[in-house]
Amino acid sequence: MNPETSPNSPRTHQQPKKVITGDHAVAIGAKLCRVDVVPAYPITPQTLIIEHIADFVSDGELDAKFLTMESEHSVMSAAAAASASGARVFTATSSQGLAFMHEMLYATAPLRLPVVMANASRTLGGPPGIWCEYNDSMGARDSGWLQLYVEDNQEALDMVIQCFRIAEDKRVLLPVMPCLDGFVLTHTVEPVEVPEQEEVDLFLPAYIPDITLDPARPSMIGTFMPAEYIMELRRQTAGAMESAKKAIGEINDEFARRFGRNYGGLIDTYRMEDAEIALITMGTVTSTSRDVVDELRREGRKVGLVKLRFFRPFPSEELRKVLSGVSAVGVFDRSISFQGGGQSYNEVRSALFGMTIPIINHLAGLGGRDVTREQIMKMFEITLKAAKGEKVNLVNWHNTRGETL
Amino acid sequence: MITIKELSDDNLFTAGHTACPGCGVAMSIRNAIRVLGKDAAVYVPASCAVVFGTTFPYGAWKVPFFHTAFENTGACLTGMQAAFEKKGKQVISVGFAGDGGTYDIGLQSMSGAAERNEDVLYICLDNEAYMNTGIQRSGGTPFGAWTTTTPVGTKIQGNRRFKKNLGDIVAAHEIPYYATLSIGHPLDFIRKVEKAKNIRGFRFLHMFTPCIPGWKMDPAKTVEVTKRAVESGMWTLYEVENGEKKITYKPGKMKSVKDYLMMQGRFRHMSEEDIKKLQMWVCRKWNLHYKEKGAPQICEIAPPEEHHAVTEEHREMHGP
Amino acid sequence: MFEVRFHGRGGQGAVMAAQTLAEAAVIEGNYAVAFPFFGAERRGAPVLAFTRIDNKKIYSKTQVYAPDCVVVLDDTLLDTIDVVAGLKPEGIVVINSKDKPEDIDLGKELRTGAINATSVALEILKAPITNTTILGAFAKATGIIKIESLEEAIKRRFGEKLGALVGERNALAARTAFEKTVIGKSKGIKKLEPRKQWLPTYQELPVGGALVEGKTDAGLIGPGSFIENKVMGWATFRPLRDKEKCTMCLLCWFYCPEGTIVRISDRGDLMTNYDYCKGCGVCANECPVDAIKMVRARV
Ligand SMILES: Cc1ncc(C[n+]2csc(CCOP(=O)(O)OP(=O)(O)O)c2C)c(N)n1
Ligand code: SF4
Ligand code: SF4
Ligand code: SF4
Ligand SMILES: [Mg+2]
Repeated sequence: MNPETSPNSPRTHQQPKKVITGDHAVAIGAKLCRVDVVPAYPITPQTLIIEHIADFVSDGELDAKFLTMESEHSVMSAAAAASASGARVFTATSSQGLAFMHEMLYATAPLRLPVVMANASRTLGGPPGIWCEYNDSMGARDSGWLQLYVEDNQEALDMVIQCFRIAEDKRVLLPVMPCLDGFVLTHTVEPVEVPEQEEVDLFLPAYIPDITLDPARPSMIGTFMPAEYIMELRRQTAGAMESAKKAIGEINDEFARRFGRNYGGLIDTYRMEDAEIALITMGTVTSTSRDVVDELRREGRKVGLVKLRFFRPFPSEELRKVLSGVSAVGVFDRSISFQGGGQSYNEVRSALFGMTIPIINHLAGLGGRDVTREQIMKMFEITLKAAKGEKVNLVNWHNTRGETL
Repeated sequence: MITIKELSDDNLFTAGHTACPGCGVAMSIRNAIRVLGKDAAVYVPASCAVVFGTTFPYGAWKVPFFHTAFENTGACLTGMQAAFEKKGKQVISVGFAGDGGTYDIGLQSMSGAAERNEDVLYICLDNEAYMNTGIQRSGGTPFGAWTTTTPVGTKIQGNRRFKKNLGDIVAAHEIPYYATLSIGHPLDFIRKVEKAKNIRGFRFLHMFTPCIPGWKMDPAKTVEVTKRAVESGMWTLYEVENGEKKITYKPGKMKSVKDYLMMQGRFRHMSEEDIKKLQMWVCRKWNLHYKEKGAPQICEIAPPEEHHAVTEEHREMHGP
Repeated sequence: MFEVRFHGRGGQGAVMAAQTLAEAAVIEGNYAVAFPFFGAERRGAPVLAFTRIDNKKIYSKTQVYAPDCVVVLDDTLLDTIDVVAGLKPEGIVVINSKDKPEDIDLGKELRTGAINATSVALEILKAPITNTTILGAFAKATGIIKIESLEEAIKRRFGEKLGALVGERNALAARTAFEKTVIGKSKGIKKLEPRKQWLPTYQELPVGGALVEGKTDAGLIGPGSFIENKVMGWATFRPLRDKEKCTMCLLCWFYCPEGTIVRISDRGDLMTNYDYCKGCGVCANECPVDAIKMVRARV
């Protein structure tokens, strides 16, 4: 890793490190945020999160209402209701669970209820599978939730804390969904630095909403709304999503100052300075890709990496800027929208509209298939070919029997 | 106990709401919230009540109001109450859900909240069909009733299933309090709402709430029809407190179910045979509730031998 | 293209009227569409429906803003709604009213066909359902559709749903109205203040649409603000209480679904605020001493 640009250094505070799973890290993050209400429902590979939180509550380490709901739909219903009643709410889910609560995602965002929910990325069946794929969260990208994808367990923990700051920021007031790769993070242990509670308290003040369901000051939240108003409400939600970009950047910087870890905000880059081509990645594939970039660099190839951290709001401006000097872009996708390619690919193409460079889609790891160094190598290779003007497929299915690349 | 005279003048569900004239749901909501008072916060799932009670930027509720979806009353009440408790606020979380939102799509959410014994008050406004979407059958629709999804055809006439026994389902959760109410029995109504207000844990008030277009009836008869329902045994006023069931009002003499049916257009097509079927179902219910046979001239036509829900069609489909 | 806007109240069958007119136009070999504007309100609340007729396929899917004809099924709507808004200058109004056109104040002098559709309907259909009756008046006043086509359309649509006899009777109601319709010019005196509406920009709209009690130029908003919505227009009847008979048992006060019966003079008396009375008649039906009579809301 390049020590200058790696997100995990330089460190200003040296905390004792814990060797924990991604799920455990997320749970600790939620605990540090002093969440008030946690409605929960089990689903692999998220379950460890709520189990850890149940332990915290049962052991008196966290003073929260832990609600063992009877379904994910009820989880998100209770989450919305508790949030509207003034509580800081955290929960976690995955794939089928996220799909089951889909309706309620659309209730939380426009009502501006800043719930934070971790999603352990997993195949949304059928056919059923439990391994990492992004087709669960991608289906929720138009619900008004902010959505981000983390690369390692440290980022998972840190982002839970940042997520509450972002969600509760008065400019934003939208729910946020940090996504961590099923098993690749959720069930993998690695060293994680756990921030001090006092420091988190300084970073994340108590949540004090303007309007809640309070008999002392009666309110109406979620009223039936005719067409005369709903268009403006949509515009308002869109505006909040847009404002989130600035808030994310500022909160990232403040977090970096306080905790010494800078994740770059909406996107992160690796060895992009003089890169001729770039690969855009999400989640843990970013991590492996850092090694691949180093290797290719050693061979003298000028390649770089762009880590798409936030998918909503989508960092169009940031991408245009960082990609302005390259001659081809590869876009990694871990899900397919059944329309030309993956969702990132489609979004990146519209973000780069007007730029004339080739944009090549690399589908890999669907259903949890391991995304290997060789596959990533191949992604760079194909993208390099495109940069040279050679003819390549726009959409490439990596490591897929029957496909020739 | 509060009498009518002692009820508050405060209109916590104000005039100007847009329910149909004579709406039994509006009548019940108004009086329930009047007894519950200002320290309540209300969740209303998708239903007539959400539409006639709020239309942005207007609202009839003078207590906090929340709405998100249809099938989640139990869960939303759970979330609200959890937040209030965590914040140390004394608030009664009250849900006002329809029969569709309770018997059918919301059953799971209600059951979850009941089983966890959440400290909330669940009120079911039972108008015996999905009214907000224009009168479709629900699990609470009685036998024979016309709805738009149980039309009166040449082959099949009206709803072929009997009303689901929600009371037993709810009470089986071993909750502190379940009661049935009718707006036509004001003192019983007030007493039960007041009682539910003061009990801790999951309380369920099951209100019988006539619907004018859904029942095809004269709006002036909203109250009268509930009285006839009780007199005939179609609706029974009782409560189950910590597992102990108590009849709170027993009609003097059983009236034929036909009196009740003929007040409402939704039943007027019913054949004598179907009326008899329904009457037998009522007689059995009467027997179960009041521990006595119904009026002899009504109930001894042909004593029901089998479980009420096993109809001819059922047997055809599933065998004897 | 000929465009029609129907004004009625929930339950009066305005949508059915619009559809039946469309069917009649199709019977004559034209192309027609009919559609409702679904508001959220229930029985008695104002509703809109539209019909478009042309001799070729109609592509427009918007509401009708500049109708050639406005049909009013209930003249109580005139008190609160500018029914002739957008009507073309040479347009025509067809209205259910006891009055002659000259006595109907539409705020503009407009060609008007008037019919006492309620009385025709009561006589022939034995119910105050005016949607087919008014179509007869429409045929007479506009001349754009033959009464025979309407009769045929009515028989088809009503016959299909409610039986041939009902179809026949409704067709007869339309024919009777066709013959009785009086055509003239309306009065143009009153000025209807358009009802004020709070229309915030998206920046002004409270975050997430969450409202607490508030006041705007257009009146109250938020909890309890439905009192801005006066519903007396919904009522056909209204209750009159005989103070002498009343025993102050308070049952009417308890039952009124609108909460528009209020206790006054230190709880010693009652008053009905007719602004919010929908005329359901529950109070009269439940009064144990028959102290309440329902009387026609407008004479
Ligand atoms: C998930 C979902 N399915 C369907 C609907 C449509 N819907 C809204 S209200 C309603 C019927 C409500 O019936 P009920 O609960 O009995 O209340 P009522 O209107 O009769 O008082 C339906 C089907 C919905 N809002 N959400
Ligand atoms: S449809 Fe029925 S429940 Fe709905 S407002 Fe009208 S009367 Fe009330
Ligand atoms: S008629 Fe109905 S709305 Fe009017 S006062 Fe009587 S009960 Fe209330
Ligand atoms: S119900 Fe009759 S007697 Fe009782 S208060 Fe009303 S008007 Fe008076
Ligand atoms: Mg219902």
